Amino acid sequence: MSLKTEVSFTLNGRAVQVTVPVDMNVLTMLRDELNMTGTKYACGEGECGACTVDVDGETINSCLMYAVDCEGRAITTIEGLRTADGLDPMQKAFVDHGAIQCGFCMPGMIMQAKHLVAKNPNMTDDDLRRGLEGNVCRCTGYYKVFDAVKDVVRGTAEAAE
Amino acid sequence: MTTVIEKDSIIGKRIPKPDAPDKAVGRTRYINDMELPLMLIGKILHTDRVHATIKSIDVSAARALPGVHAVLTADDVPESLKFGIARDNIPLKGGKVRCTRDEIAAVAAETEDIADQALKLIKVEYEDLPGLFDVHEALEDDAPQIHDDRPGNKGLAYSHHSGDLAAAEAESDIILENTFKVHYVTHCCMGTSAVLADFDADGKLTIYSQTQYPYNFKMDLAPALNIHPGDIRVIQPPVGGAFGSKLDVYPFEPICVLLARATQRPVKLVFSREEEFINAPTRQPVEIHLRSGVKKDGTMTFRHVNSLLNNGAYTSWGATTPYVMMRTFSSHFRLQAISYDAQAVYTNNPYAGSFRGYGNVQATYCTSIHADMMAEAVGMDPISFGIKNAQDEGEVTPQGAVLNDCVFAELLKIAGEKTDFVNKMKTYAAERDKPGRIKRGIGIASSIHNAGGAKIHKSDGCGTILKLDDYARATIITGASEIGQGIDAVLCQIISEELGIPVKDVTVVNNDSAIGPWDVGVHASRTTFIAGNSAQRAARRAKEQILNYAASRANVGAGELDLRGGHVVQSKDGVSVAKLDKVLREMHFKEDSELVMTTDYYEPPSEPEGENHVGDMSAAYSHAVHVVEAEIDTETGVITVEKITSVQDVGRIVNEMGLEAQIEGGIIMGLGYALSEELQIEDGYVRNPNFRDYKVMTAPEIPEMELHFVESQSSTGPLGAKGIAELPTIVIAPAVANALYNATGIRIFNPPLTPEKVARAIWERDQGHAQAAE
Amino acid sequence: MESITQPGIEAYEAPASIADAVQVLARGDVTVLAGGTDLTVQVDAGRITYGKTLMNIRRIAELQGVSEAGGRISIGALTTVTNILDDDALAQSVPVLRATADRFASMQIRNAATIGGNLVNASPAGDMIVPLLLLDADVELASWRDGAVSTRSVALKDFFTGPGKTVRADNELLTRVTFAKPAAGFAARFEKSGPRPALEISTVSAGVAGTLENGVLSNVRVVLGAVAPTPLRAAKAEAALEGKTLDGDTIAAGAAAACDDCTPIDDVRASAWYRHHLVRVFMERLLTDVAEN
Repeated sequence: MSLKTEVSFTLNGRAVQVTVPVDMNVLTMLRDELNMTGTKYACGEGECGACTVDVDGETINSCLMYAVDCEGRAITTIEGLRTADGLDPMQKAFVDHGAIQCGFCMPGMIMQAKHLVAKNPNMTDDDLRRGLEGNVCRCTGYYKVFDAVKDVVRGTAEAAE
Repeated sequence: MTTVIEKDSIIGKRIPKPDAPDKAVGRTRYINDMELPLMLIGKILHTDRVHATIKSIDVSAARALPGVHAVLTADDVPESLKFGIARDNIPLKGGKVRCTRDEIAAVAAETEDIADQALKLIKVEYEDLPGLFDVHEALEDDAPQIHDDRPGNKGLAYSHHSGDLAAAEAESDIILENTFKVHYVTHCCMGTSAVLADFDADGKLTIYSQTQYPYNFKMDLAPALNIHPGDIRVIQPPVGGAFGSKLDVYPFEPICVLLARATQRPVKLVFSREEEFINAPTRQPVEIHLRSGVKKDGTMTFRHVNSLLNNGAYTSWGATTPYVMMRTFSSHFRLQAISYDAQAVYTNNPYAGSFRGYGNVQATYCTSIHADMMAEAVGMDPISFGIKNAQDEGEVTPQGAVLNDCVFAELLKIAGEKTDFVNKMKTYAAERDKPGRIKRGIGIASSIHNAGGAKIHKSDGCGTILKLDDYARATIITGASEIGQGIDAVLCQIISEELGIPVKDVTVVNNDSAIGPWDVGVHASRTTFIAGNSAQRAARRAKEQILNYAASRANVGAGELDLRGGHVVQSKDGVSVAKLDKVLREMHFKEDSELVMTTDYYEPPSEPEGENHVGDMSAAYSHAVHVVEAEIDTETGVITVEKITSVQDVGRIVNEMGLEAQIEGGIIMGLGYALSEELQIEDGYVRNPNFRDYKVMTAPEIPEMELHFVESQSSTGPLGAKGIAELPTIVIAPAVANALYNATGIRIFNPPLTPEKVARAIWERDQGHAQAAE
Repeated sequence: MESITQPGIEAYEAPASIADAVQVLARGDVTVLAGGTDLTVQVDAGRITYGKTLMNIRRIAELQGVSEAGGRISIGALTTVTNILDDDALAQSVPVLRATADRFASMQIRNAATIGGNLVNASPAGDMIVPLLLLDADVELASWRDGAVSTRSVALKDFFTGPGKTVRADNELLTRVTFAKPAAGFAARFEKSGPRPALEISTVSAGVAGTLENGVLSNVRVVLGAVAPTPLRAAKAEAALEGKTLDGDTIAAGAAAACDDCTPIDDVRASAWYRHHLVRVFMERLLTDVAEN
């Protein structure tokens, strides 16, 4: 059995404390210890992006980050985007544009898309495609995803006017 | 106050998938996410050999590990219980292993870690046997035998012959002859393979499965378990992609059930990505020797095909792909004669299943490249050549497919016009030998596919139960499975259209074999067509029932009424007679009431193949033409596909957004097949079981796509629709290969067209030129 | 033979200073965790087994960030690839670092992967190693000696000894990488194989640097990745180019010499033939680009 340690951090705006094996990754902690199964395992090697979460304003592959390293940090997962008013605008755009088919890659894709818009609201088409390079989708041809993100970018720009 | 409701239609609109919001917020629970009380984790020990005798297997230490509830080997499973298409597979292998996938032991433990540890404690002694990996070697007289009861290592065989081949050859002015070797690729479903098995106290099995064919799945699973199919209940939680990979029973499924039976606890088994790459089915690799004949005037004469399928160690649907391949070889272009033979050959490689396009991806790679070569050989452009040879409306193919609602020639014409194909092709060809490292090319490919199911079983049908409740909400219980492709939205639309209720007021239930009526499965581009027809018929029955009641109530003829906008209206002017929910309540809440609950079973007007594989096996056929425009870096060999123009006969657009999604996704899957995806198998082992080295298409690599939907209005499809999901994947790779030829003069007969392969071919050609010049 | 009874991790440490960290290292049998992007994969593949202590160094502020002093630029070991990509000042003075960072894996990996990790991991295909070798960088290694932090500097070109192997001793922590701020006129270029823009383990990566004056290239550095057990400075190519007029003949000679410098292998990603071929192609392209710009 691996050594365990306690880790405290903010998860989707709420303080959490959890005891984890020191070699456990964030993905396993979220899914197995905290029952937050929205974040998906699909490769375990940082090659597909299905496990993307936001840590302190940067997206990472949660399969590669160690749970112990969450100490003191703020983590946002797909479950954290939804508000009392309903779907986050990015989630809604993905639904409305038909970007979701089997949906397995989508939590990671949506987290990354949110991050891209937050980081650069004026992104070009190339920035968008490059920004999603680490998120594999096997169902769509990615265009519906592009359309959804662009729609949110337009909405954000209009709201800022 | 008078309410007037105009006639409206939801068909052709852009309708989001009803399950998308839950998927977007991370609420959807796939099997991978599920947990039942007292659930154990199952793990499989796969062999590390490719062909060996098992001398001993010692599981005592694994059994003794705390937290381990069961360790099973072949000794715990009667060997007579064989399953699979050719009944050559068993859940746990004893005696001998035949490929790197072979399952030799399985563990159920309280945690994944314990299960992993237990696997490491199992000691196996082997005596290696010579391995067979090449089909030709496996066919040699003195080759080792992989299965004692499959002499000569021969698996399934298929042939179709029609027309006078000798005469057709004699009439040909040009005969082309090439050997194509099409490769291993795999589905790469984002959700890895998963299953959860749970027995009730009465010994009945509930299996949470990703299967694409829940009803026959029971029949196929039962023999592996020695259980009655009727005692199996299949629940289908949402699935993280399928693409044909889940159309058979694979050993991990019965193994998980055996663990659940042994422990009397629910057991869940989920593959890691590495396990998925090694153990999930592949697309069928084939070596195809193709001879094609053509007359000087561009009339095609014959195709003569000999193919060898590397069957791997066991038989799944991959070995049956000749069934579809021969249809492509014998059709879409008119032939005087066709000779088709295919033989599956057992080797110690992994084995193939069905995969979107099912044989047709392989066949079309050959036919579309040969079409390009023939056109050039007779001095025609590929569009004119295609149109000259394209089969027409009403024509019957040599295998008996009746091409109703056929617009193939029109598709070719549109593709040519929309892309300025002929001019571009000439321009690029003229640039080919000029200096410059970047070359441009344009290429075309086309094919046919079944678009109204495929009668490979006794039935190709689908059942529907439709229920209307007292709020005028409809629940459609259908046999058809949802695997992300979007049948949920399509069925909601069809019910909405027929019953005049909002699309959001329709609920689809299709995830429990104890509730749903029979369906043959989600495959063969059949679901919109078959399940759609059944849904429409069930809805029309319900509508008739409602209108009859409403007519008697209003003392008018039922023919004068219609359902629109949640009301029963007068058809002539849309004036509301009553609100639909009120009518339904009246129908339900009375003595001798009649529930508005209808059923339908739709069996398409198709027939199973008879002798010589002749039969009109689909209720509709469709064609697609793709044009690829690409830039080739002649030094690095990188092909950058810049634009894909897709022209496809879709019958009729039902859900435009879902249609686009399926076609775009299908194209990109085909593009991966063309350019980068290859499961590298060396001496039976998978060399690249990860996304680092098995490269699927990513966002920056996606070309511009221009989609043209041609609506042929199928006379048999629901509202005129045809099945659409496979053709986009089928016709991409040869279009890329033909574009490469247009740009460089290089033909590649063994996809994928990787940078190295392209660079090497160009380099060798240039070396040859240099030597010739010396 | 993998032992089921391996002891596993017995201690977890997350020091806040270099001094604390090197004292942990001094105990021996420590696995260092930084961004985690390589460690997870290596452990899963069985290439790394955890030591008795897992030490997370991400809390050490001293290891963060980019600074400049005395004409030298210092990049802290924990600086992420995204930090480098987003650093406008760094991109101004050393454009090749941004150009390379832009071709590094995916954004999620760039957000986590650190410079120190990329160097210590010592992959023959490690992309960030290439520009740092072009810059003739040194790495600083800290250890605990006689009750104090002691450091030594090692030239990066001497740092790698084989795939996954470096001269770093088990008790040493890589703290930063430093290099002289390039003088005006210094040009450096990076190229790696595609077709994806970045999320590719390089089949071949290549870098060329030097100062071009009046058409003559001097102070030449040529670096090749994924074509030898370590990323390498291509000595023959450098000799073929040094002090020469950068014309077509020189470029061809430099590219040919680079092919002689490397010893690529056949593997799942490419054949040795293709790697040789790409080295020549990339060298010609990079040198042509230097000559033309």
